[in-house]
Amino acid sequence: MGASMNLKELRTMSMKPLHVNPLKLSQPMGATLAFLGIKNCMPLMHGAQGCASFTKVLFTRHFNDPIAIQTTAVNDITAVIDGGDKGISEAVENITKKVTPDLVGLFTTGMTETKGDDIKGATLLLKEKQKMVYVHTPDFEGGLESGWSLSVQNIITQLIEPTTQVKKDKVLLIPNVNFSPIEVEKLKEALELLDLVVFALPDLSDSLDGHLGVKQGALSSGGISVSDIEKLGDAGAVITIGRSVKKCGELFYEKFPQSTHLHFDSLIGLEASDDFYAKVFEFLQCKSVPSVVKRWRARLQDVLLDTHFTLGKAKILIADEPDSAYAMSKALREAGSTCEAYIAQRSEIQEAFTCKMQIGDFEEVEKRLPEMDMLIANYHGERLAHKHHKALLIRGFPNYEQVGIGLRYNILYEGSCAFLCEVNNLLAHH
Amino acid sequence: MLNESACSHNKTKKSSCDKPKPGATSGGCAFEGAQISLFPYADAVHLVHGPDTCLGASWETRATLTSYEGENNTPLGYCTNVTTQDIIFGGDKKLAEALAYIVEHKKPKAIFVYETCVTAMIGDNIDFTCKTAEELFHIPIVPVHSPGFVGSKNLGSRLAGEAVLDALVGTREPESIHPFGINLIGDYNVTGDMWQYKPILERIGIKVISSLSGDGRLEQIQMAHTAKLNVIVCAKSLVTLCRKMQERYNIPYVSVSFYGKRDTSNAIRSIVNAFGDAELITKAEVIIAEEEAKLAERLKPYHLMLKGKKAILNTGGNKSWSIASALQDIGIEVVATCVQKATEEDVAIASEYVPIVFKNPGVEQPKLIDEHKVDILLAGGRSLYTAIKKRIAFVDVNQEKKVSYGAYGGLENLASDVCSALANPVFKLVGKAAPWELV
Repeated sequence: MGASMNLKELRTMSMKPLHVNPLKLSQPMGATLAFLGIKNCMPLMHGAQGCASFTKVLFTRHFNDPIAIQTTAVNDITAVIDGGDKGISEAVENITKKVTPDLVGLFTTGMTETKGDDIKGATLLLKEKQKMVYVHTPDFEGGLESGWSLSVQNIITQLIEPTTQVKKDKVLLIPNVNFSPIEVEKLKEALELLDLVVFALPDLSDSLDGHLGVKQGALSSGGISVSDIEKLGDAGAVITIGRSVKKCGELFYEKFPQSTHLHFDSLIGLEASDDFYAKVFEFLQCKSVPSVVKRWRARLQDVLLDTHFTLGKAKILIADEPDSAYAMSKALREAGSTCEAYIAQRSEIQEAFTCKMQIGDFEEVEKRLPEMDMLIANYHGERLAHKHHKALLIRGFPNYEQVGIGLRYNILYEGSCAFLCEVNNLLAHH
Repeated sequence: MLNESACSHNKTKKSSCDKPKPGATSGGCAFEGAQISLFPYADAVHLVHGPDTCLGASWETRATLTSYEGENNTPLGYCTNVTTQDIIFGGDKKLAEALAYIVEHKKPKAIFVYETCVTAMIGDNIDFTCKTAEELFHIPIVPVHSPGFVGSKNLGSRLAGEAVLDALVGTREPESIHPFGINLIGDYNVTGDMWQYKPILERIGIKVISSLSGDGRLEQIQMAHTAKLNVIVCAKSLVTLCRKMQERYNIPYVSVSFYGKRDTSNAIRSIVNAFGDAELITKAEVIIAEEEAKLAERLKPYHLMLKGKKAILNTGGNKSWSIASALQDIGIEVVATCVQKATEEDVAIASEYVPIVFKNPGVEQPKLIDEHKVDILLAGGRSLYTAIKKRIAFVDVNQEKKVSYGAYGGLENLASDVCSALANPVFKLVGKAAPWELV
């Protein structure tokens, strides 16, 4: 990041002493989602019971599906006298009384970080009893994206077994937190079409995709299995999407230098999709392109032309997590839109934005909204869009208003077509 | 605080609010409880002093309606966004600046400041900062000390009640004192529940002096001490506040429920009987009769569909009997209700309404459905699979509801929702085997 980043931060950080209608979600929430993408996992939030309860309610309403999560339920007594290990071991004991998790994902909150609990020590003490991964995710730092990324980093360092072998056709895919479950699946399919064996970490595509299971378990219902994670070391390539997870790929490559790291900031729009296929084809030294890929690229070209009349005149305000705001603004600018963005937390992707961008809250968003045509934000944007009579596209967390959000995909050629058409139609019929 | 003499279970237990169990807890924390209790004051700003998370997930989530004509603060979220730097150097300065910002930009009637785990642990002197700001800005600035780690949602509600009692009640005098003035305690007017019965009370001649806190106003709660009766609506957590108001201001209290026809009528009777005024009692009976007749007329279209239908209820707390009672009022036979998450008082009341009370839904629910040929299951989302498997209708009563089920008017909404569920083919359809599963 360096000094230039710091200067940029100073310019963009809001100097207000408070947040009014915050856009930001917390690191522990990002960690929760990451662990829900692992099969038979119990995310265990180390904090007061409310931290986990708020998180559970938010994701349950967002995904319309049950959310597995437990808490160490720190109380006024353990908050003062305990170093964390007693509450953690008690929690693990109570969890394993009822269910047998393949993994417990332990992560902290602002409160237990302020206490300075030794979660590494607590995890070591429980080593014989329960397989665990621990992550430091204070909620007074970072946000949803960094919480997800830190969890993946710790899963990589703590779970994957060392190996020097390499399977050229095996790929580790690391999506960022903004990917919908079906987007993970579509991306896996796109790579499988090129004869690759793909493992997504985390994999929400079969855990939070809203399928009707046999019964509702207390643990995460799908995702990548722990044994598959342990054997990821021989993956020939690690693909990261979104700047928030770039470090995960770098870390993997550091640990397994026999692999190749392919990173993409975004997968929405023509240029981003082209870049994806260019690098993947180069890595595979692939000569024959599947006809369905060619077909969808041609359709996206046509969609860009069809939508440019409306999108070219549109002023669009985006309020979302950094990686998602960047990806959407990049795609909309390809069709000629004027974009401005407010992002939820600091991120390295800030330097890549080609439109006006600031860290902010919904109070700031509302100030800019009168001059715009459309707002893209989570469901909190709804009240503002109504009030100022603007078109609205709901994206990001949480979305309590709509159903089917787990089934919506906006990546690569095909998903970009859907994205641009949806924005166009919302603007045109507003 | 932990030994509430007005709670009946204290006869058997030492501590009134259970400590949460690590790894086996799912409810909200004390901070959330305090927030829920006070957020409906739309004319006050609610400032959370802590990291963004405490608020980040929870603003604009509850449909607590208000008739306040100024800027409605209930769907807005204010947070000091405490960061690493504040944790090292203390968050008091940021809090003071945030209060000044709010007063300057929002001009609220008052500000509630909610302490959270982090700001409690770093030892911010919130009381002092609030007091200083109060003197500077001349509006009430009320610290609420209920950091999440002190306990459950229930305890938080009680702590919020304490804060209001100590800082606000009795700080303003009305022009005149109404002979039949009441405070409504513990109804947050979610989906407008309170508006279902408040006009009826007013027609009888009762005046609502203040509420804690559905559709509440700051100035009204400041005059709450001039009410003649406290009416607790389905909220045991605020019994402490009512007991203290009885001790301090000699105001008696009654506990009522406005779910279902019988309970609503009984609630009205409890209130007028507490006043003991013959004229008021007669007037109440006339209006109850009127309302019940009107309701019977409105429910007629649903009778054919609902008559003889059997239901099982699996929900928490007072809902284990209040919704049961409401279902019976629309002609449904409630076979059993789950009391896994109910207090001893609730279990006792539930047994009066429903023949079978059960504690282990996982095992007993499917069995009861088969044995009694149940038509509909009303429960939280977790039980959906049971309903699908048994191919019976399902109503989610734990999810944030969109319409009010309160009082006479709300009963029609409940009847309509139950009818829709019973008529919907989806429950039988989605449980159907796939073509490749058929032999």
